[in-house]
Amino acid sequence: MAENMTTTTMSQPSDSPSKSGEVAPTSIEPAAPPAPPRPQRVPYHQIYKLPAPIRTFPLPTFYPSNPLSLFHLAVAWLRQVLLPPPAEPSVIHEGIWDPDTRSVHVKDPKSIRALWEQGFYGKGSLSRSEPNWFKRELTRRGLDGTTVSEERTVSRREERKQAKWERAKAELEAIEKQKLEEAKLNSETVNAAVPESLAVESEPQPDVPSASLPDPVLSAASAATSSHAVLTEEFVPKTVAHGHIVEPKPPVGPLELLALPNSYALVRGEELVISHPEPATAKETARKEFKPPVGPIELLALPNSLADLVAVSVVSVLSEDVGIDEDEYTTEDQLEASALTNDEPETSATEANDTTSSVSPPLSADGLPDSQTTQEDVPATPERRKSVRFSPTVESTTFQYTDAASEVKNNNGSSDAEPISSAAPVVQKPIISNVEPVVLSEELVDKEHFQLAPEEAFFLAFGLGALRVVDPVTKAPISNEELLTKLRANSYFPPRSVDNLGPEDPFLVQYAVYHHFRSLGWVPRHGIKFGVDWIIYQRGPVFDHSEFGIMVVPSFSDPRWSEYAHEESKKSWSWLMGVNRVLAHVLKSLVLVYVDVPPPPVFDEEMKKGGIAAALKKFTIREVMVRRFSVNRNR
Amino acid sequence: MPLDDDLEDNPTLTPPPPTTNTATMDEGAAAGDLEEPEDVPTADFRLFASTYSKTKNISAQTIRKGEKDFESHGTRAQQSALDASREAMRDVLSYTRVHHTAKQGGWCRGWVFGDWWREWPEDWEEMQRAKGGKGEGEGKEGDGEKRVLPPLHVRDRVVVLEHSNVATQTLGRAVTGLPKDKPARGREWLLPEEALYLVERGSLDLWWPTRGIEEIFPADGSSPFTNTATKPTTTTTAGEEGEGQEEDEEEDDEYKYGFPLSLQAAYALLIGEDGERGKVSLQKFQVFSNLKRAGYNVIRAPSYSPPIPDDISATQEKPKSISEWLISCLPSSKSSAIDHPPYGPLVPPGLYRSYSTIYNHLSLRPSATSQPSPPVTPQSKSEDSPFKIHYHLYRASTKFVRTRPPPPDFYLSVISATDTSIPTLTEISSLLSSVPADLPKQEWLTGGPSRLYARLKHGYRNVLLAVNDHGVINYMRFAKGGFEREELFRGLDQRVEWSNNWKAGGGKGGGGGGGGKKSGNNGRGSRGGRGGGRGGRGGRGGRGRGN
Repeated sequence: MAENMTTTTMSQPSDSPSKSGEVAPTSIEPAAPPAPPRPQRVPYHQIYKLPAPIRTFPLPTFYPSNPLSLFHLAVAWLRQVLLPPPAEPSVIHEGIWDPDTRSVHVKDPKSIRALWEQGFYGKGSLSRSEPNWFKRELTRRGLDGTTVSEERTVSRREERKQAKWERAKAELEAIEKQKLEEAKLNSETVNAAVPESLAVESEPQPDVPSASLPDPVLSAASAATSSHAVLTEEFVPKTVAHGHIVEPKPPVGPLELLALPNSYALVRGEELVISHPEPATAKETARKEFKPPVGPIELLALPNSLADLVAVSVVSVLSEDVGIDEDEYTTEDQLEASALTNDEPETSATEANDTTSSVSPPLSADGLPDSQTTQEDVPATPERRKSVRFSPTVESTTFQYTDAASEVKNNNGSSDAEPISSAAPVVQKPIISNVEPVVLSEELVDKEHFQLAPEEAFFLAFGLGALRVVDPVTKAPISNEELLTKLRANSYFPPRSVDNLGPEDPFLVQYAVYHHFRSLGWVPRHGIKFGVDWIIYQRGPVFDHSEFGIMVVPSFSDPRWSEYAHEESKKSWSWLMGVNRVLAHVLKSLVLVYVDVPPPPVFDEEMKKGGIAAALKKFTIREVMVRRFSVNRNR
Repeated sequence: MPLDDDLEDNPTLTPPPPTTNTATMDEGAAAGDLEEPEDVPTADFRLFASTYSKTKNISAQTIRKGEKDFESHGTRAQQSALDASREAMRDVLSYTRVHHTAKQGGWCRGWVFGDWWREWPEDWEEMQRAKGGKGEGEGKEGDGEKRVLPPLHVRDRVVVLEHSNVATQTLGRAVTGLPKDKPARGREWLLPEEALYLVERGSLDLWWPTRGIEEIFPADGSSPFTNTATKPTTTTTAGEEGEGQEEDEEEDDEYKYGFPLSLQAAYALLIGEDGERGKVSLQKFQVFSNLKRAGYNVIRAPSYSPPIPDDISATQEKPKSISEWLISCLPSSKSSAIDHPPYGPLVPPGLYRSYSTIYNHLSLRPSATSQPSPPVTPQSKSEDSPFKIHYHLYRASTKFVRTRPPPPDFYLSVISATDTSIPTLTEISSLLSSVPADLPKQEWLTGGPSRLYARLKHGYRNVLLAVNDHGVINYMRFAKGGFEREELFRGLDQRVEWSNNWKAGGGKGGGGGGGGKKSGNNGRGSRGGRGGGRGGRGGRGGRGRGN
């Protein structure tokens, strides 16, 4: 649980405080101060106070300097002698052996909590580790005000996604700004162009370009400071007009072919827009009209028939209207924002002779010194570049499939004035809390049970005596000896017969490692998530990140092993490097734990003499810490 | 092979310090403290960096790091940055590199005498150490510590140098203690990997002799070539004169004694199978050359090193406080002979005063003093194991004298990635036992729980494995872990007691520690967790105050 938090917290952008300050009122913040009064949370060190399901009764310390402490000591001792507390472990939990999943199930909620809190044993069958499906479900249905860690993880992931989006947007803005500056330089060098052809073809306002053209410096200056509406208009005519000076080339290159209109809808939509009578904001909508349908919403909103086509386009025009008005507010003051909004029409435009051709010469990277010529290569056809889009609405993954696309857009537009933060509420909300509270007709039952891994179950039963495993059918308790045999047999697939078991059984080898670290005070948990056998925590998953990933390597160094059949696994170096890489990625270091397995005669003898307790002592454990060594950093 | 004489008549460059015997060589090396003999690549990189700083104000750091652009976004700034970096690369690559001549310390001549040392006794070093090694050692041992002299590997030395230069100062050894009439006395002899590395580097001109070694390197110490560098007392002017003579003489009999070898011939002569006398395997050479290029000083390790036992006294810990001492005095806690029931529970039901007792019951390890020694390995088995220490590594910053090297910084074993799999327990433990203990830093050892991870990660002995996959070398550090030394459960009692007191104290006493914790836990899960962990330790102080 704690693992997934490392990256998110570390990669928080530096400006996140100010951002979160903006979005906090609208989002559901789990730990926000203005949240309704909640019962004081019990700190973790109280919940997870006991390191094992056994209580201790320490005597008060005696201080020679303080005679009273002797009295305390005497009282405590007398009380324990006269009224002895029940022998520990006072509670013996019950687990049901489940041969199908090869685990031990625990059903009693009290036992579940106890086993989880006192030593971090097991996991919920429907949870990642802590069994909190029920709580999660309650929260999801809005019946419980509290939050669960999964939810926080989700929200943190969303935050991270948001941060990434912001970063990408900033990068894009920088590029756009750069393009603008370069275009400005271009415009100073370009001679006066002929604007008529352009005006005739698509642009409804022929007067604007002609007015601005004679003074390119002025137009550039105004482009840098004014909103995008003015800005784009300044650039469109010049370069496009310039393009019309040269003969239009047939679309032979791949980019040109891509740029061709490839559906009837596009062409049709274009006409629609142009013929759409709109007063003040007509030109805006015309430019904003069609986005290439890349996001899920857009795809859903695509018309299925020609009849739909007209209606949808009108609707989206209307909805875009709202958005554009708000764009205007924000872009008044900052240039950055203007660059952002400028990119929207750029990427989404299907209109002929759009700004795309002017601000981004698509092939200028091929090393031609004169980028003007490359711009001319772009034909005067509707352009559909393959581009990364940063539309606020696409970002949200929380839309309902029943929602109409336009509805979503309207919601976003009206909820907040700023387009960026309008996306934020949707993003901030964890997925599960987005669903409206449903009044339950039936009682909610906890469908989760608790699973103990074989090693954990055997440790609890054999080591601490805090678990009694019962048969799934007869409900008769299984003795530790039987349990061991069962677990050993089931560590093979298919389960082996009792006669074929030996000291090299995977269960025994793994258990030896588990017991080794448990008995040293570590909290081992299965490390399948990280590609290792175990990960060990110093205190537990809620307290700290595990620092070590453990890979168990069975070893048969005793010469007597040569007489017995055994499988000595030969792991390749690439395997080791891979494991090490993955672990290094989650900031853990790899420990190869060699388990020297005693040869069968020794093992059998010990089993006869002192049972598994004696036999386990013959499993020698040796740890080897593995790390990559960088030649360049250590010289 | 650079045989250009273009720079030969450059009077500004002085010849290298004349060195004929090893004693002066070593002094020179020690005094000069040559840390980086690879001047040519350094100059190149500086040029590279300066090319950058001229065009754009980018430091060398930014060349390596920074954001990658994965596609062109059509700005001219991007294009020009790309152009600039390409231009810089082109500039660097088109830089004319010259090899300095022998007299400028650029390269020297070496002769391949592959079989000269063949009859040399293999146990010569032990013999030498037995009789004269002691006397040799005590004379120069100034710092009092007994250094183990590096083995000479005489039988493997196949290339004899005419003279030394900067590049060879950390390579090659002279065989001392030879009779006076032995030819090539006091000459530097190179191991095959050293010779090949120097050839690749352009510092060695490898020649194949057509005459015997007696003629090329007569026993009286004179040289058939009037080579300036071999004369001990050569000044700059004398060097110029000698150079003139040399040219005159070598006009007619330049190839009288032998002929130069190509790089291909050098590879053919010096690369061989593992264990072949006088040759080096390609994999070892690749690792050696990679490390030398990275700036390390590398010497061949002895072919056999006896296992070094653990220093038991260093591992013994003393109880730090009275309470720990008291706990350790309790009869139950240290009882090594806990009688475990055969099928548990290991912790018998009962009343427990401390978790240490419980965990002592759980322990199935042998007691700390009788830690299992590394499994006994038959000598023959460990002999043909590929996991052996092959090279000793010294950081460039470590002062290195090749005749009396300090203890190595790293011990390295060269492993083939394709022929071997990850080491077995026998292999890795015999490898680890062949290197001396390398304990964690003292402040880590005494640092308590806060330095737990540092101690564990450092380990108590370590070796480097250079896993060579056809020239792609991956260095791994294998260290002996010390988990059994860290008995984490020792801190449990205090933690539990602190938690109990916290609950009892509520608002008043324990709140000092607890207040901070509460705020920590209300925050993000992971951070709160960390805060909680720290609070647990800080709590001990709180308890002390309360009592």
